Amino acid sequence: MNKTLHTRRQFLRTSMLGGAVSWTIPAFLERTFFSLDALAADATLATGKDAPILVVLQLAGGNDGLNTLVPFADDAYFRARPSLAIKAPLKISDAVGLHPKLTGLRGMYDDGHLAIVQGVGYPNPNRSHFRSTEIWQTASDANKTESHGWIGRYFDACCQGADPAVGVSIGSQTPQAFAAAEPRGISFAKPEQFRFAAEKTSDPAAADEFFRSVNEANDGGSIDMLQGPASGGGDTMDFLRRTALDAQMSSDKVLAITRKSRAPVTYPPGNLASSLNLIARLIGGAMPTRVYYASLGGFDTHSNQAGSHERLMGELDAALMAFTADLKAQGNFERVALMTFSEFGRRVAENGSGGTDHGAAAPLFVLGGAVRPGLYGKAPSLQNIHDGDLIHNVDFRSVYASLLANWLQVPVEPILHRPFPTIGII
Amino acid sequence: MLEPLDSTAWGPEMAAHLINRAGFGGSPRDIAALHRLGLKGAVDALLGADEDSDLFPPPEGLVPRDLAELKKRTAAASPEEKKKFQAQMARENRETMAELRLWWLSRMRWSPFAAREKATLFWHGHWATSIEKVKEPFAMWQQNETLRAFSLGRFEEMARAMSRDPAMMRYLDLTQSKAGKPNENFARELMELFTLGEGHYTEEDIQQSARAFTGYRINPKSQQFLFASRQADSGPKSFFGLEGHFSGDDIIGLLCAHPQCARFLAGKLWVYYAGTPPSAGLLEALAAEYRRSQLDTGAFLRTVFQSREFFSPDVVRRQIKGPVQWLVQLTRQMEIPLPRDADGVLRNLGQVPFAPPNVKGWDGGRSWISSATLLERYNAAGAILARLPADLPTLADPGGTCSGLVWRLFQSQLPADLNNKFLTYAAAHGPTARRDLAHLMMSTPDYQIT
Repeated sequence: MNKTLHTRRQFLRTSMLGGAVSWTIPAFLERTFFSLDALAADATLATGKDAPILVVLQLAGGNDGLNTLVPFADDAYFRARPSLAIKAPLKISDAVGLHPKLTGLRGMYDDGHLAIVQGVGYPNPNRSHFRSTEIWQTASDANKTESHGWIGRYFDACCQGADPAVGVSIGSQTPQAFAAAEPRGISFAKPEQFRFAAEKTSDPAAADEFFRSVNEANDGGSIDMLQGPASGGGDTMDFLRRTALDAQMSSDKVLAITRKSRAPVTYPPGNLASSLNLIARLIGGAMPTRVYYASLGGFDTHSNQAGSHERLMGELDAALMAFTADLKAQGNFERVALMTFSEFGRRVAENGSGGTDHGAAAPLFVLGGAVRPGLYGKAPSLQNIHDGDLIHNVDFRSVYASLLANWLQVPVEPILHRPFPTIGII
Repeated sequence: MLEPLDSTAWGPEMAAHLINRAGFGGSPRDIAALHRLGLKGAVDALLGADEDSDLFPPPEGLVPRDLAELKKRTAAASPEEKKKFQAQMARENRETMAELRLWWLSRMRWSPFAAREKATLFWHGHWATSIEKVKEPFAMWQQNETLRAFSLGRFEEMARAMSRDPAMMRYLDLTQSKAGKPNENFARELMELFTLGEGHYTEEDIQQSARAFTGYRINPKSQQFLFASRQADSGPKSFFGLEGHFSGDDIIGLLCAHPQCARFLAGKLWVYYAGTPPSAGLLEALAAEYRRSQLDTGAFLRTVFQSREFFSPDVVRRQIKGPVQWLVQLTRQMEIPLPRDADGVLRNLGQVPFAPPNVKGWDGGRSWISSATLLERYNAAGAILARLPADLPTLADPGGTCSGLVWRLFQSQLPADLNNKFLTYAAAHGPTARRDLAHLMMSTPDYQIT
């Protein structure tokens, strides 16, 4: 790999210096070469080996907060949910307890690695999946739209010149949270397929070389096309060429790491567990990634919720426990903080279909070796509700602000546009 | 007002643009034939859809399950039997759905009325419904036929049909909605995603209209719509500031009459066909046109496809292909059948027909492309081509030369440096490597747009 990199780098240099375009190399390309240099010199140099890592875990569909962190001491809860109320939660305080399937998280709470933030939401909650997801992903006010994601703005503000793999999303789609003025971050579902398969051609070596040459910005023509503002609203071809370049640069690295590393613990079955397993291997392999993104779907429980929600809680708990054990075995647990979020909770009252409809405020989890354990925020009142929904006590951007300021250690205002009070979760 | 295109501007690249966007592309011969018809003739030929279902018999095994019988059977079964039975059903569903997907893709690939299939795909993304929740292949097929029947027709009729469509009713919980306990899921999405878009209604409108869509049930034997008047809320409702004993159809009528409905749909249709969001001025022109056609989609598209705006430089070769478009267009361009593993290819690329990710359908545009899916596309193209004979006729004839292949795959000039690279590779590797050349051409950012 180094040899290829070296040759390519030399080729890039000579063709740039030799051509009329030598002074017009876009800044991002220049930085890219710099990080390739660093990579070639020392695989750990550019990775920020001790830098903190954030893992964002989306629970898509609207997780039922009231059955995740159960207000078991409140009669109103049982009245609102005659068939769905959880009768024996895992007690956290005199007022609330975790869903019975969250035994691992309950243990982490005792071990001092879990923060639970109660009643998280935002003013004027929107009950549309898409709009509310967008609000969480872009950290916008409910009445404003924002085209870039909150993590994308972090990349723009604080990761200039970083490797494209500064953000890694597991799955084939790029989450809106990663959308940025200068898009960064890669996504893939299966590392073994994250490469160009030239062996299907009659001359694999030539095809591979050719492929690299057309998918890299390696001559005047392509570089010209990459100039200009690389904003999210930029030219479609710019976007495609940049993605092709990022894919190619990252795929060698990802493959090398995932091929050689094995998880020291056994992960349960399921997509979330495989995503977290992959993230753990990439962390262990010293990827230069600061933010990982994974998701688990199926939380839109409008009907017959009891069984499906219990299964989801079990899957979440088992996957998180394996991930935690893995990171501990690697010695990376102190470097990682994982935050869950869902676009909204569910209505307080169950509906006529054994399910719950779209609601508002809900709790979220932050876990990791450096997390300050505890129960944060106030549990939303079940008496003082708005239009059938819980009222939030903590703005979700306060959670983001806390993670940005106290974990990733960057200034918050350029990213969230205004200050939000931080919480002592980390 | 949309401006009609000056007919003297009509050329082969425009014919290619039209067939790519109105349908799923075609071979150089298809494009040449369309070009000969002139713009109006070409649009008429593309949109003049007729009966073709005899060419595409639906897969076997697509019969309505007797749901009452099924319920009885599962109720009587022991837990182990029940589990076994459910696993068997899941397996049957998977197999039937794979066949159904191939059946629809074949229609896209071979139907003489590809524009109707393209419009049906739009509406499938619009009224997004997934087998993952519906769990009845028969219902998914029925919905597909309903979408096809109305795809180039009146939207209002389509909306009424969709509110009674068993797959939709299951997907958005209409079957569970009854007087006194209305389920809001359908009513909310009807306004947010199907007719108006966010911000043009209140929570109160949702709660009130949800009452109008009560009593919608499915006959368990035939799996057809059934109105259970005893479950229906026939009481007075207030909707959009009006008072009345509104039925579900009344609500749909009021929504379709709302000026925002034409604007919302015309904008969405434009994005699907033109690939780029319309300017504010163009959006108003499109909305006016759709209103003028009384929300008749076929009539609207006829005007759009003959407009100057549709052939503007912001539109031509500026659209990222969706995975279905990418696959079907590839096979039409190369004059090859669909790959047997089409289903798996589309899954990897992020678009599984009959299983959109959620009720909003596929986001489309740039969301199709990530570092992952881009490489998947390159590799899928390689796998498809590798299974073809190296002396494939489409590669052997004079059209198989490098520039012939560029026209076949891109129908436009490539950037000079890229074109030169292909020429160099072709010269170095000779005619036996033309299949590789086609693969390499498909393994570029440029091939991902149309």
